[in-house]
Amino acid sequence: MESKANGRRNSPGWLLILPLVLILVPFFIVPIIGVVVASFVQSDGFGGIIPNFTLDNYKGVFTSGLTYQLYWATLKFSVFAWIFSLLIGFWIAYFLVFHVRNPLLALGLFLICTVPFWTSNIIRMISWIPLLGKEGLINSALIKTRVVDQPLDVLLFSSLAVVIAYVHQLTIFMIVPIFNSMARIDKRTIEAARDAGASRFEIVRFIVLPLCRTGIALGSIFVVSIVMGDFFVVKVMSGGGSASVVGAFYEDIGVLQYPTAAASATILTIIVLLLVVTILRTVDIRRELTR
Amino acid sequence: MGKDSDKTGKSVAKEHLRSRRQLLKDAAAVAGAAAGSSVIGAPVIWAQEIKDIELRHVGVSYSVVKAIGDQAAKDLGFKVTMQNLDTSAAINRFITQPNTVDIPDLEGWQAKLAAKRGVIQGINVKKVKEFDNFLPIFTKGELDGQKIPRQGISPYEAMYIKEADSTDLHDGVTDWATFLPQVYNADSIGYRPDLVDHPVTEWKDLLDPKYKGKAAILDVPAIGIMDAALCFESADLIKYGNKGNMTKNEIDFTIEKLIELKKSGHFRATWTTFDQSVQLMAAGEVVIQSMWSPAVAAVRVKQIPCIYAPVNKKGDKEGYRGWCNGLGLMKHLSGKKLDAAYEYINWYYTGWQGAFVSRYGYYSPVPSTAKKNMTPTEWAFWYEGKPAPEEITDPYGVPMEKAGIVRDGGSFLERVKNISCWNTLMDEAAYMNKRWNDFKVA
Amino acid sequence: MTDFANADADSVPIRRRRALAPSSNGRPWTFYVLATLFTLYVIALYGPMVCIYILSFQDVRGGLVFPMRGTSLHWFVDLFTQVRTGDVKGAFSRSIRLAVVVTIITVVISFLSGLAFRKRFAGDSVVFYLMIGSLVAPGLVLGIGVGLICNVLGIETSWYTTALGAQLSWTLPFGVLVMFAVMSRLDSAWEEAARDLGASAWQTIFLVIVPILAPGLVAVALFGFTLSYDEFTRTLLTAGSLNTLPLEIWSMTLNVTSPSLYALGTVTTLISFIIIGLCLGTIARIQKRRVSGPAVH
Repeated sequence: MESKANGRRNSPGWLLILPLVLILVPFFIVPIIGVVVASFVQSDGFGGIIPNFTLDNYKGVFTSGLTYQLYWATLKFSVFAWIFSLLIGFWIAYFLVFHVRNPLLALGLFLICTVPFWTSNIIRMISWIPLLGKEGLINSALIKTRVVDQPLDVLLFSSLAVVIAYVHQLTIFMIVPIFNSMARIDKRTIEAARDAGASRFEIVRFIVLPLCRTGIALGSIFVVSIVMGDFFVVKVMSGGGSASVVGAFYEDIGVLQYPTAAASATILTIIVLLLVVTILRTVDIRRELTR
Repeated sequence: MGKDSDKTGKSVAKEHLRSRRQLLKDAAAVAGAAAGSSVIGAPVIWAQEIKDIELRHVGVSYSVVKAIGDQAAKDLGFKVTMQNLDTSAAINRFITQPNTVDIPDLEGWQAKLAAKRGVIQGINVKKVKEFDNFLPIFTKGELDGQKIPRQGISPYEAMYIKEADSTDLHDGVTDWATFLPQVYNADSIGYRPDLVDHPVTEWKDLLDPKYKGKAAILDVPAIGIMDAALCFESADLIKYGNKGNMTKNEIDFTIEKLIELKKSGHFRATWTTFDQSVQLMAAGEVVIQSMWSPAVAAVRVKQIPCIYAPVNKKGDKEGYRGWCNGLGLMKHLSGKKLDAAYEYINWYYTGWQGAFVSRYGYYSPVPSTAKKNMTPTEWAFWYEGKPAPEEITDPYGVPMEKAGIVRDGGSFLERVKNISCWNTLMDEAAYMNKRWNDFKVA
Repeated sequence: MTDFANADADSVPIRRRRALAPSSNGRPWTFYVLATLFTLYVIALYGPMVCIYILSFQDVRGGLVFPMRGTSLHWFVDLFTQVRTGDVKGAFSRSIRLAVVVTIITVVISFLSGLAFRKRFAGDSVVFYLMIGSLVAPGLVLGIGVGLICNVLGIETSWYTTALGAQLSWTLPFGVLVMFAVMSRLDSAWEEAARDLGASAWQTIFLVIVPILAPGLVAVALFGFTLSYDEFTRTLLTAGSLNTLPLEIWSMTLNVTSPSLYALGTVTTLISFIIIGLCLGTIARIQKRRVSGPAVH
C-alpha cells in the first residue's frame, strides 16, 4: 500500500534532484575534472602546462616525507578538534534538549550560542590575539589573580591555540545535528527506561547515544571536512609553527606550480572522501532515509 | 562651417578631441619632460567621454591603496576600482582570469611570469611623460655610476621587453616595459633598542643566541628564505652564488640551518600577518625580527622605541633586500580604455601618489614630483635623512615622530644604494616551497 | 525544596506546573553540572567577542590589541564613513547580501533534494557521492578551475554569480546531509493522513511536511548562512573584481589592519541580539495568545 501511495504522489526523483545537479556540474564536476587532468601533465615552470602525460607529480607527492608530515599534522588537528567538539557539543545539546524545560528558553539559549558566528570568522581569528596574547585578557587575569607569575606563552602561536580556534569555530557544527537527533527521541522511551530503573548514565549510554548516531556522524563529517580543507586557521594561530596540507599547496599555487598542486589536491580529496565514507559506514544515513 | 552643422555635436567634439590628443602625444614624445604637477588629459571634453570608463586595479594592500584610487578618480574623471588580494591570489587572477583585471599590480618577478604567459601588453615608455625622470636604478640599472646588484630579480632586469607583445624579457633598454615601478623600499630588520644592547647593523644579529626565543622571521617562503640567506651570509656560514636564485644545495643548507634554529627554540614565531609583526615587537615578545617599514612606524606610534636597522653593505655581505611594485597593462586593453590606462599611469608620477606612499616609509620612482607634494619637513625626514624639523605624522594624521629624529638608514640614496638583493622567483621555487614547509612542520 | 506536591493545582501558574513533570521533583545534580558546562561554553564562545567589543571603543591611536588607547566612537564613525585601509563597509554589505541569497537557495534546494532522496532513483548513489566529493574537495583548486573556465568561455566572474555558485557547492552538501538526518525521522503516517484528507501533493508539502521539518530547515539555514558568510577559499578566485568580507580582511592583513573591524563585530552582534530578541518576543507573544485563547483542556 505504501509503494502505491508513493507512486501516486511521485514527483520523479530526477526533477527534484535537478537543481542540486545543476549546481554541482559547473562548480564541482567540471573544475575537479580539470584538476585531475592537470595533475597528470608537466608544468613549464611559468604557470603553463606541457601536455605530456606524466606521473611525476604523484611520484613527487608520494615519495616526499613532507607529505606524510603534513597529513600527520593536519590529521592530528582534525582528531583533536573532533574529540573536543564532540564532547562539548554532545553535552551542550543534551543539556538543551533534556534539561531545559521551556522550549522557548532552549531556543533562546541556542540562538545566543550562534550570535558570535554573525561576526566574520576572520575577525574572530584576529581577536584571539588580544585574548590569548601575553598582554591579553586571559594572561592579565591569570597574573592579577596570582595563578601564574609569568604570562603563558603556550596560549598563542602554538598547536594548542590552533585546536582552541578550531573547537571554538566547529562546536556549533556538532551541536546542531546532535540537537536535531536528540530532539526526535521520544520522551516516553526515556520515561519508560527510568521507570524500569535505569540510571541516568545508563539511559545516556543505551538510549540517547545510539539514537544520536546520525547526528554524531554528521557532525563528525562536517568537522573533519572543514579542518582538513582549512589553511588560514593553522597559518595564523600557529604563528608559522605548523603547516597544513592546503597551506602547502596554496604556496605552490602562489608560484603557479599548478600540476603539483593539482596532484596534492586530488590526493587530499580522495583521502578525505575515504574518511567521510568510513564515517558513513558506521551510520548509513541513506538507508535510514529510504527505509 | 556648414559641414560641421550637419554632424552631431558629439562627432565634432570627437574630432577636436582626436586632434588635441594627437597634439599632446606629439608633445610628450618630443619633450618627454614633466610639466609640473598639472595632470594632462583632464580637459572637460574628455571628461564626458571617459566618465563611463572603469579601471580595475588589482593588487596587494600595501601597494594598491583605495585612497590613491579615489584621488586618481577625482583628478582624472573616470572610475577607478581598487581591489586588494594577497600576492598568491593576485598572480593567479592575472594568469587565469586576465579579462577581469585592467591594471595589474606586479612585482618584478610577477612581471616576468605575466609576460611569459602573454597576459600583459608592453607599456610604451614614450607615452609616459615622467619616464626620463625615473630613478636610473629602474630605467638603466645603475645609480651614480654604480651598477645595481642583480641578485634576485631586480626591477631593471624585469622591466624591458623587445616588442609590445614579446613574452621574454630583454636585457637592455628598449621602448617597451612589462611594468612601471610605482612604489618600492629597502627592507631590513627591526629591533627594540631598549631591549637589545647594541645598535644593530648586521643581519647576523638576528641569529645571535643572546636573543633566543625572542627572534622572528616572516612566513612568506620567497622572502623569508632571502632574509635567512642574508643572515647566514652575514655570519660567514656560507657564501651564496645568487641569494635570489639558489641552487638546491644552497636551499638545503639554508633550510637545515633554519630547522636547527627552530628546534633550539630560537624563533618565537614566524609571523604571517602584518599586525602580528607589530604586536610581537610592541609587546616585547620579540626583540629582533624581519619587519616592514610601516610596521616599524606602527610600533613607534605606540610610543615604543623601534629601529629599522641600517644594514649597509660591507664588502659582499649585508645590504638591504629591495622590493618594487609597479603598474602593468593587461593585454585586452584597447581603444579608449587603453588611453585612460595611460592617463592613470601618468597620473601616478605627477606627485600625489609619491607623497602619499612616502608617509609609509616607501619611495616613489620619481622623487622630484613627489617632493612637490610633500612639506619640506616631510621631504627632509623621509628622503634626505635629515633630522625632522617638526613633528612627523603618519598618512592619516596621527603623530608619529618627534622633531629632531633622523630616519633609520639615512637618506634614500644611501638606503637604495645599499640594496644587495631583490624579491624574486627562483628557478627552484617549487623545491624551495617544499623545503620551507619542512621548516614549518619541524 | 518548596512543597509543590501539596499546593492547589489551580493556584500554581502554568509555567511552573509544566515544570513539575511527574517524573521528577526538582533538578538532579547533573543539571547543575551541565548548566555550569553550558555557561562556561558560552563564556568561552564570547571570549574573543568581549575583546572585540572592548577594543572597538578605542580612539584614533588604537591598534588591534591591549592595552587600550583612549575611548571614543572613532572606529564606528570610520566604519560607516571614511575608508582607511580596505573597503570594509562595501565588502560587508556584499557578504551579507550574498549570505542571505545563499541561505535561501540552500534551504530550498536541500529540501527538494531531501525529498528526492527519499526514494531510490537511477543514479542516486552517483549524485550522493558527487555531493560528498564537492564537500571534501579543496576549495582553492575548485575556485581556480571555475575562474579558468569562465575566462575561456568569456563569462565575467562576479560575487553575485560565480562566487554564489561556488559557495553553493560548499553549503549544499551540508544542507542536504542535515536534511537526510531530519527527514529520516519523518513519519510518513502524517503524509498519508493528509492525503487521505484530500490534500494535493503541494499542500502536503507546504502544510504538513515543512512545518514538521521546520527545526531542520532552520538548522540548514543557519549552516548556509554561517558557511557562506565565512567562506574564503572558494570565493577567493571567483569573486570577480569586488571582494567579499573575508577576502577583504585577509588582504588587509598584509598591511595595517584597522580596528574598524572590531567596530563591525560590535555592530553585527548588537544587530543580531536585537533580531533574536524580536524573534523570541514574537514567538512568546504568539504562544501566550494561543494559551490564553479558547481553552483546550
